[in-house]
Formats: sequence, C-alpha cells, structure tokens
Amino acid sequence: MNIDINNRLHSVCRDRWRSTAPVCMIRGLLCCLLMFCGFGLFLSDAYAAAAADELNCVLCHKYRGLSRIDEAGDFRLYYINKGLFNKGPHKRVQCKDCHADIDKIPHDPAEKVDCTIQCHLTEPSGNEKFTHKPVAEVLAKSVHGTVDKGEEDVQYPEDYPYCTDCHDQPLYRPLSFFKGQAAGVSERGLSRCKTCHQTGDFAEDFYNHVTSRLQKMRVSSEIVKLCAKCHGDEEFQERHGLQGNVVASYWETFHGKAAYFGSDEAPDCIDCHVVYGENVHSIAGRASRASATHEANVSATCRASECHADAGEQIAGYQVHTDYGDPDKYPLQYYMLKFFKYLMAGVLYFFITIIFLELLRRLFPDFSFIKQPEEKRQSTISTAAKQ
Amino acid sequence: MQRYPKIALRNGKRYFFRFSQVQRIQHIVLFSTVITLALTGFPLRYYDQPWAKPLYEFVGGIEIAPWIHRITGLILLGLFVFHTGYWIYLFFKNRVGRLIREKTLSVGNVIREFFSMEMIPNRKDFFDLIDMFKYLLYFSNRRPHYDRMSWKEKFDYFAPYWGIPILGPAGAALWFRDEITHYVPGIVLNAFYIMHTDEALLAALFLFFVHWYNVHYSPEKFPMATVFLTGYLSEEEMIHEHYDEYERIMKEEGLELEIIPQNH
Repeated sequence: MNIDINNRLHSVCRDRWRSTAPVCMIRGLLCCLLMFCGFGLFLSDAYAAAAADELNCVLCHKYRGLSRIDEAGDFRLYYINKGLFNKGPHKRVQCKDCHADIDKIPHDPAEKVDCTIQCHLTEPSGNEKFTHKPVAEVLAKSVHGTVDKGEEDVQYPEDYPYCTDCHDQPLYRPLSFFKGQAAGVSERGLSRCKTCHQTGDFAEDFYNHVTSRLQKMRVSSEIVKLCAKCHGDEEFQERHGLQGNVVASYWETFHGKAAYFGSDEAPDCIDCHVVYGENVHSIAGRASRASATHEANVSATCRASECHADAGEQIAGYQVHTDYGDPDKYPLQYYMLKFFKYLMAGVLYFFITIIFLELLRRLFPDFSFIKQPEEKRQSTISTAAKQ
Repeated sequence: MQRYPKIALRNGKRYFFRFSQVQRIQHIVLFSTVITLALTGFPLRYYDQPWAKPLYEFVGGIEIAPWIHRITGLILLGLFVFHTGYWIYLFFKNRVGRLIREKTLSVGNVIREFFSMEMIPNRKDFFDLIDMFKYLLYFSNRRPHYDRMSWKEKFDYFAPYWGIPILGPAGAALWFRDEITHYVPGIVLNAFYIMHTDEALLAALFLFFVHWYNVHYSPEKFPMATVFLTGYLSEEEMIHEHYDEYERIMKEEGLELEIIPQNH
C-alpha cells in the first residue's frame, strides 16, 4: 500500500513539476530581477509563490539524492519536492518557521521540529499566531500522552508517539463527488470558489484546508499499518501490559478483511477507538470511562451513525479482538474451532483412507488375506507344477 | 414413469436410469452456487495468501463480491427449500398416495415408508460398509453389492443437508448483523462467523477431495462421470457400483438370463 501511494505521489509530483517548471523558472527569474530593482513587493502573485521559500532552501534540497546516513545508521533523505510541498498544509509556512534552529547556510544537522511553536501565520478566526499546541495538549492527556500517568507507565517515554510518528505522509484526495480526480486540488471544485475569491492562492489554500478535513486522508489499511508500527510489536505490547496482538486479530475480522481488500468504508482502528465526534488525538485507554471501547461505551461506538446505526445494544457483545488460541479468555471461539477442526479431520481422514485403500486394491488386485482350505491349496500347487 | 424407462438402449448398450431432469437441474444449481460461493468466500478467509487478492479482484472485489456471495447464498437456500418441498411432495404423491389407494394408511406405515426411501440410511448400509472394508483390506474378493444408493452417495447427499442449515442461517445472521443484535447477544456473531467459515472449509475440502475423486479423479471415472448430465448409468458401472439394484431391475424388466456376474 505504501509503495502504491509513493508511486502515486511521485507521478503526481512529476506531472506537476513538468507543467509548472517553466512557469516557476520564469517567475523565479522575474522575481529575482524585480527584487534587485526593489519592485518585488508590487507584484503580489510572484511574491506569494516565492514567499514559501524566502531563504531559497530548495536551492539545495531540490536534489533527489540529497541524503546521508545519520549517527544511528539510518538512511535520511532530505529531498523536498516543491510541487508536493506547495500542495501540502504547510505551503505558506517558511522552512525556518519550523526548523528554527537553522541560522546559517550550509547548516548543521537540524534538530527535531517542535510542532507546538508559533508560526508566522495568523489564525483567521482569532487573529492570533497559529500553533498546533491545542492538539498537543489533547494528545498529552490521552492514552498516547504522558500527562497524569503513573511512574511505571512512562518508563519508556520513547515509545509514546510524537506528531510526525503518525503524520508522516501527506496524501491529498479531492472530494469524491468531483469525478475522475487524482491526488491534489480539484480544478472543477475550485472553479466554484474562484469566481469570488480571485486574489492570490486563497481559494486553493482554503479549499485544501477544508477538504482535507472533510474526508479520510488515508485508506483504512494504511491507518492500521500506522498504528501497527507500535501496537503490532510484541515487545512493545509486553512493555506496556497491553492485550495480545490486536493488529493480527483485527485483520481476522470482516472489518480488517474489507480494509485489506481496499475498501474505503472499512472501519480502521480510529473508527472504533475514538469517541464518535471527538478529536482523534483524544484516544483514551480502555479502562478509562472516557474511552470509546470502555465497556459502557462500546455499544454507542458500534452504533455510531455511519456504522451499525440500526443495531441493537447487544452488538457490544461482539468480540472484535479475538485470540482463537486462548481458551481462558475466549472459550466459545476456542472450543468451536476445536470442534470443527476434529470434525474436519475425522471426515477427511476417513474418506481419504478409503480412497487410498481403493487405489491400493486396484494396484495390487491379486493379493489376498483369505486363507484357502488345505486341499484347494494343494491342488493349485499341483496344477502349477504340471504346467 | 414412462418418461424415464428404467433401461435405455443406445448403440446396443444398456443404460440404467438414475436421475430425472428436475434432479439433474437441481444438481447443476447446487454445484454452480457452491462453486461461486467458494470463489467469493475463500479469498476472504485466506486474505493474507498471495492468491487471495487477485482471485477476489477477479470475482468482483470488495465492493461487488460480497453481493454476489449473498445473492448466490440466497439461491442456494432457495434450492434447499425447493428440494425439501420436492421430496416431501414426491413422498406424499408416490408413497402416501399408494397407501391411501391400498387403504392401508396408518402412522406406522407412513413411518415405514419414510425409512424405506432410497436416501434414508438403513441397516444394509452398515453391512455394506463392513463389506467394503473387508474387500479393501483383502479379506474378501467380493465388492459390496450396493442397492440404488450406496452409503457413500447417502453421505454425499446428507453433507449439504447438514451443511446448508449451518452455513445459511449463519451467513444470513452475519449479513443482517445489525438487525439480529436486537434479539441475540453480540457474541453469537462470533460463533456464527466460526460456523460459517469452518463449515464452508469442511464442505469445500470434502467436495474437492472426496466427491470429485468419486466423479472425476478416480481412474474409472476420469475425466468425468457423465451420469449428472445424462441421468443414466452404463451397465458396466451399474454392475460395479449398484449390483443389487442391477439384478433387481434386470429381473423386473424380464432380462433375468442376461444378468452379468460381478467379477470384482
């Protein structure tokens, strides 16, 4: 799946690069020229395009091979695809807004980005500098955060997810009701905005901003694989005292199978583990009353309007993460499976034995266990001797 | 009865009646639906196998295949209901009707008639089974003399009769999971899931290894036994597989002198 998406992104970037490269180059040249002349600010359109990379970081980072092996021995790729970046959520953010520690060129290895710092953008509803801090606060209080945790729970702080552990791949799909669109902004959809919002890239940005929140940005199986990075790791489960391999048992359900075969509607981890209507970052542990999978809440979670809305309350009794090899926790499933296993073995071995014997009988038709009476045997021997 | 003579002659050879047209059509519907159900079902069970995804895409993918599976399942359930009605109709028409005509209708006689139907297992099947093992293990040179339906054929017949009532309702419950949870606890769905998928596996393996051996792979039948198409079995096969019935029919048709002995 990841490979698919990468390919898709690459092809999108390539196409985009091909179509926009000459325009960008001309714009860039014009921009430089005019900036030298001190007239740059008067050409707002050219200014906006260049604004995303004031420090011209892409001068180096545009090379696809820009990479190194870091101290931990991991391969790190520093290539920035400008076309893709300009379609992403951080389009209007300067590189230095996030990579604040870089102060010279060429620069030293940059520190990890802190997503909670304030950037230069102004949040339009309140006129304050924008920051992801509120999301980080929700996350910190959730099961994935370290706030309000006992000491033994935060023994492995490195196991707790940081923003980029999940938000690692930008993938933008247009709303499905604009037909035949690949990744990116739908021109057809945009045309409806641009009649009024003509200035700059406002329509593109706003469209992107809104539509990316109106739909799932990843297919279900991708979300599961994302969670599985930690929750599919047995050592990790042991360290945190979590129940069995929840990822494997998820794939065994119809939810998982539908996701595996590429259904967009298949429920993934988030659909059941986030309280309906709440922020994704607020996932709580199962023991917490606030959790979507807390005993008292399961029924409401299953019966969310997009899922089993017509189901009865007892749907909560369905055991999603079944470990078929555990007779203590799942006796019904364990013994039923045993029953069918023995039935199957009994029936098949019985008939396959018969088939085997039939073929043997056909291969050696003259063999026999029948004891012939003494005189008959003698006469057979004498006839044979005469011949 | 005139429609299907007990012995038909083609190119100087005798063929013995086994299946009427209605029965043959039922068998075609049965195997078409079962094969379709298996093709649209097993890729889901073995989703992580390399063949699962291409096969599932071929039969419609996640959007279409489940609907093909459900509709085919409904057809199979319909066949089950039809077939049950069919033998009940025949039972009343032929057997109970005869009892009424002969004025010997009583509960005991109806039960006796029921147990004398060709598909109902009886004591002879048990002795045939012993005969078969004696023959297969070289303790006897005489093949078991099966009557109209051998115990193997009865087993084949009752396999769907056990399988469909398990698979069908479980499948329907998984289909209507929302509605069903108003009446039963959710864990029943776990149970139905196991019932559906494991019984399906048993049925598919049985059909593939045992039934297809009997009608396709076996050296006598390869590449295919034709009785499911023609409804008639050759004299040679009758002697081999249904000697008691063969003798009886030959006698009934006045061909007593032409009965060929069974030399194993």
